[in-house]
Amino acid sequence: MHTRKFLFKSSFRLTILLLAMLVLLPNIVVAQSDTFTYWGGLIFSDEANSMFEARIKEWGEMKGIPVEVVMINQNETVQRVSAAIEAGTLPDALDLGWGFMLLLSQNDQLVALNDLYTEIGDAHGGWLDSINSLMTSDEFGGSIYGVPYAASGMNVLYRRYDVLSAAGFEDAPATWEEAADQSRAAQSPPETYGMGFALSNVGDGNLTTVMLQSWGGRIADDTGTTCTIDSDETRAFLEWITTAFSDGLFPPGATTWDGAGDNTAYQAGNALFIANPGSVYLNMKDNDPELLEASRFSGLPGGPVMRLVPVDTVIRSIPTTTSPDKQALAADLFQFLADDEFMAAYMNAAIYGPAMQSQVDFPVFTESPVHVGLLDGALNGTPAGFPDVNNAAYAEYGTNFLTPRMIQRIAVDGISIDDAIAETQQACQDIYDKYNTQ
Amino acid sequence: MSQDALTRPQAVREPRFNMRQADSILGYLLVAPLVICILMLVVYPFVFAIWISFTDRVIGGGGNFIGLANYAYLFQQNSFQQTVRNTIVLVFAVQTIKLIVGLGLAVLLNQEIRFRQFWRGLILLPWAMPGFVAFITWKLLYAPQGGAFNYILINLGLVSSHVDFLSTRELALPSVVVALVWRGFPFWVISFLAALQTVPRELYEAAALDGANAWQRFRNVSLPGIRHVVLVVVLVSTIWTTNSFEAIFLMTQGGPSNATMTFPMLSYFSLQSLRIGEGAAVGVAMLPVFSALAFVVAVLLQRDE
Repeated sequence: MHTRKFLFKSSFRLTILLLAMLVLLPNIVVAQSDTFTYWGGLIFSDEANSMFEARIKEWGEMKGIPVEVVMINQNETVQRVSAAIEAGTLPDALDLGWGFMLLLSQNDQLVALNDLYTEIGDAHGGWLDSINSLMTSDEFGGSIYGVPYAASGMNVLYRRYDVLSAAGFEDAPATWEEAADQSRAAQSPPETYGMGFALSNVGDGNLTTVMLQSWGGRIADDTGTTCTIDSDETRAFLEWITTAFSDGLFPPGATTWDGAGDNTAYQAGNALFIANPGSVYLNMKDNDPELLEASRFSGLPGGPVMRLVPVDTVIRSIPTTTSPDKQALAADLFQFLADDEFMAAYMNAAIYGPAMQSQVDFPVFTESPVHVGLLDGALNGTPAGFPDVNNAAYAEYGTNFLTPRMIQRIAVDGISIDDAIAETQQACQDIYDKYNTQ
Repeated sequence: MSQDALTRPQAVREPRFNMRQADSILGYLLVAPLVICILMLVVYPFVFAIWISFTDRVIGGGGNFIGLANYAYLFQQNSFQQTVRNTIVLVFAVQTIKLIVGLGLAVLLNQEIRFRQFWRGLILLPWAMPGFVAFITWKLLYAPQGGAFNYILINLGLVSSHVDFLSTRELALPSVVVALVWRGFPFWVISFLAALQTVPRELYEAAALDGANAWQRFRNVSLPGIRHVVLVVVLVSTIWTTNSFEAIFLMTQGGPSNATMTFPMLSYFSLQSLRIGEGAAVGVAMLPVFSALAFVVAVLLQRDE
């Protein structure tokens, strides 16, 4: 039986231990280990993910250092990295999207890699213009915070050629209005709907911002400080898209689709058009060759004012919390990963466009119809956000999905176009003002 | 050694604390580890969240004190006003239905029915299923194309074309309510059932002898007997429902047009822009509601005592 003295001592010791933990815990958490940790971006291709992991482990073996590769769902990167920043447990290097890199760089979370960027670019024939303009944007104040490994985010227009050609439409629509006209003529609700584009609060829904811009609309002025949603161009765009919605050209549920809503609609045979970077193509190649045979691929249509194919990029970065030794290792790893032979095999399985000149000649960019579209996007596309200034406020406008929400207000709530514009203009300006005062 | 030294009584060391003080210290020491854990894991994050809601802190940044600016920004947003309305409607509807269904089924399962154990086990299934799986399944059931509900409704001739459960303003929130009720009611049933079993049978027998019918026995014997449990379950479940994120995130992402936007979704959108101060303000804005609810329940419980 425990004595009173025993209880007294045990409680005292436990209290001291907990107090000590309280004081020491932050230091324990940030203690650096010998293992080199890399957070890679998980993509739809298992083959590409495996190749990527294997390549980093191969590098670790060559260098004689233990490596840990953690593949992270790209939809969760923001949450995972945010938590790691607050906890002081960032990896030694990681993959990021451009928008998130911008936000992190503005909070001094990333190491500037100007020399490494130039070195790797020069070794591979130079960076493509679209990629270079993103990486050297004025928003970064002359610093370059990462090394791109591919062009991303470029949507290719998928169309059901079998259905559309039967309705007399052999060619891909050159404009969004043509896509709507073809949909109107060829769709057969409730089995098939034409416009398989998300109007919901997800990343795919922001394609509507690209549409708005191709109508000549702008989110903000050239200084990137004042919202300019309230314009005739926005009115014209909203008139068109809400008419298309009320005409039943969008599949039911498009206003609440999740990130896979459009993919599912197309693969289930319910949508005639979708915009997708390539995951649907990969899935059809493996699981539905008949649908693949019935599909054709082309660049995104244009609007009445311009045609936009926004190019984003995926980037390898180094957090400022990484020790100098490991920063040097990360730089070495980035060079190792940029190897053309590896990237040719990786791109063959992945759904990215080229970022550097040497990648343009990879066989996949002539052999695969979707990759042909991705190459075209990377070479001829416009930097993400263009013609708007792609700054942090613009990124927050996107993460709040204000364009699809504006459409929802008209299409779902039935408010007038003018009221929806006024509401969105105000919400947009509220966001920009937060950054203007910083 | 002298005789004097041998016979002198040995000095007895005076205890530093008397028995009462030693008891007190031991008591404090015994609870100290738990208090430290609560301070670390509950109080600190709670106070920290309140503090950063008054700052313009972003992830990785220090943040400056900006007073009520985050709250002012939130309150002027249309989406916030809609969020408050949605949250109140959602929580009230979900809790009311769960209360009725939970009580009804608990009373039923407390009777001598056939396969009673089987039914009790079966009732738990929705609660045992991972939320992710449950809500994705509900989304598929609601799907306008290929969804089971539309298939049934159209084949029974009840509707002529598909019903857009999750994408129309009128149906989106009720559809989410149904899914949340389905997922959460087993907790109520099991809690009420456990409470009902503690009500002495003699009370029912006495009530029956006095001529009370089934409703009167339920109202005057069962309900007072499980009142404490009902209050606690209502409190806990209200907090869970208000904080429920995955159902709405998986089924509607807060849409269409903010029709299902609730506090956790709004907070999520703020954090997507790394604005942790603003996100914390959304969370803290719920605090007065929870505090009031907890206070009411505490008063009711104390009144019974």
